[in-house]
Amino acid sequence: MSSASEPVIRAAGLTKVFRSPDKAPGLSGSLRHLVRPRHTNRAAVNSVDLTIGRGEAVAYVGANGAGKSTTVKLLAGILIPSSGTVRVAGVDPHRDRLVNARQIGVLFGQRSQLWWDLTVRDSLEVLRDLYGVSRTQFTERLDEFDEVLGLGKLLPVVARRLSLGQRMRADLAATFLHGPAIVYLDEPTIGLDIAAKDSVRMFLRQRVAAGTTILMTSHDLRDIEDVCRRLIIIDDGRIIFDGDLGRAKDAYARQRQLSVQVDAPVDLAALRAGLPEAQVEQGASTRELVVVFDRFAHRATEVLDALTRQVDVVDFRLQEPQIEDVVRRVYRGELLVLPPQGVDA
Amino acid sequence: MRPYLALARASARSVLTYRLTFVFSMFGLIFQLLALLAIWHAVIGAGQVNGLTWPQMKSYLLVAFSCGALVSLYTDFGMAARIQSGMVAVDLTRPIDYQKARLAETVGGVWIELLVAALGWCGVITLLGTIFWPDPVHLLLFVLSLAAVVPLKFLVVYITGLACFWTQNYLGINWARVAVVNLLSGALIPLSFLPSWFGTVAEYLPFAGITSTPALILAGDLHGLAAVRGLLLQVVWALLLWLLARATWATAVRQLTVHGG
Ligand SMILES: Nc1ncnc2c1ncn2[C@@H]1O[C@H](COP(=O)(O)OP(=O)(O)OP(=O)(O)O)[C@@H](O)[C@H]1O
Ligand SMILES: [Mg+2]
Repeated sequence: MSSASEPVIRAAGLTKVFRSPDKAPGLSGSLRHLVRPRHTNRAAVNSVDLTIGRGEAVAYVGANGAGKSTTVKLLAGILIPSSGTVRVAGVDPHRDRLVNARQIGVLFGQRSQLWWDLTVRDSLEVLRDLYGVSRTQFTERLDEFDEVLGLGKLLPVVARRLSLGQRMRADLAATFLHGPAIVYLDEPTIGLDIAAKDSVRMFLRQRVAAGTTILMTSHDLRDIEDVCRRLIIIDDGRIIFDGDLGRAKDAYARQRQLSVQVDAPVDLAALRAGLPEAQVEQGASTRELVVVFDRFAHRATEVLDALTRQVDVVDFRLQEPQIEDVVRRVYRGELLVLPPQGVDA
Repeated sequence: MRPYLALARASARSVLTYRLTFVFSMFGLIFQLLALLAIWHAVIGAGQVNGLTWPQMKSYLLVAFSCGALVSLYTDFGMAARIQSGMVAVDLTRPIDYQKARLAETVGGVWIELLVAALGWCGVITLLGTIFWPDPVHLLLFVLSLAAVVPLKFLVVYITGLACFWTQNYLGINWARVAVVNLLSGALIPLSFLPSWFGTVAEYLPFAGITSTPALILAGDLHGLAAVRGLLLQVVWALLLWLLARATWATAVRQLTVHGG
């Protein structure tokens, strides 16, 4: 969709090395450390190249400790890269932190940006002044956000008393209040229930539709399917996958699964002979079958036809390939890296 | 200016939440004030010591008490905690200068500190009789000098707070700072009671501007040109420390690793 647009985020060889003390456990370890300190250097983010176009919605995925939050902090200008370069809309986010801060919004799902002792309304008012948002724009935006986030009830509540889901909705409003062109969201649905997640996703979809560039990390892959078009997977500080979400599915998640209930026990061998390309297995009972097939090799109706020729199908359920499966296999190192798909691909 | 005013307003409203913590920390200061009053009353009696009479000493101690209350609330609890908890990451995403923002928050909390100080004054004057009041010109100089305490003390706390970027042990650093400031600012004993060379050196250090200068101006011990010079010294130190704080920040932020997340 937006792959042809000009890049707004460009990182080249982005690296962040953390130096952590190498302490043996116990008092003796601490003493030894005092006498002769030893440190290990660990690259939390390791030669990362990123190019993100204006208006893109990118999912940034990886296991715990992979380096997602560190990347976000580098892009936001909070941390200084150990090496490599970053440009966000033409600005070095660290050197020109104040300029960069005006064009971005950042949400850390694990910590709130609201003033703990103020009501949500007062916090938003402070942010209005911090970013110099006009009164009319402020009211307009809040009205707009209110539809999905249900801010109305939250505004008079002191931030400290909000539940996690309420807090996240208020934080989202705070993040987008000044109309940032680029927004980083680090686990925006962490700890939320299904309804709250749904409203967060709907809100983010709206923001993307309105043209905001989004980079989002999440461990809930539904967030990603709902909001993002592009998937980047980071593992141990390195990008191991970068490509279109649909393309990733086509390439790797081709296996559809058809679960069938039949009215009498079936002859598996005969069925297998009729569907040589698919895997046919017994389900939980003798009256259940599970057929796994490549969606490019067979159409679902073909499989169903082959089945009905031999047995009477009472009921069936078709399961589409899940992005979870792709990511799980990438984590496990089962998948090769796709050639990176640049913004101009 | 608008962002900083907004921050000051926000912290002016937030301090009410900490009133309990504040009241407890004030107990310490009030106890210290009472103890010092008792001691100096016994020492001075009806005469004078080092040029200070009992009414003058009362003025001095009340100012010392007020300077102890000023800039004690927000900065002490806020700065280090924000760095250690990683909230500094959120602060850094704001399009505002970090140092000015923290100063604005400190200034926002000053009103409640002044309120407590005023209560202390009323209490002491009611119970122990009138204090020494200088002429209007010196009263004005005193007010200016007391106002200068806010940025000066803020900067000392801020710079020590930045130590959190290097060490996890802020508590130790905080104690060291309190000890040094108490001794060298004249909060416990006027600097003229220190060994003479030591007292003279202390007079030129920035800490003197945190208590001694305004206290001596109100007590009438620092007057005329000496009072003006004291005030100027406060201003000069505030400017120098402002620059030092900036330099420290520039180095500190390179150290920043941000915990958690
Ligand atoms: N301040 C720090 N000092 C030392 N090491 C750090 C620091 N912050 C992060 N790390 C290390 O860097 C690596 C990447 O951390 P990061 O927080 O970016 O991971 P993440 O992908 O966000 O993980 P999660 O999904 O658990 O949030 C981890 O191994 C972590 O231990
Ligand atoms: Mg993280």
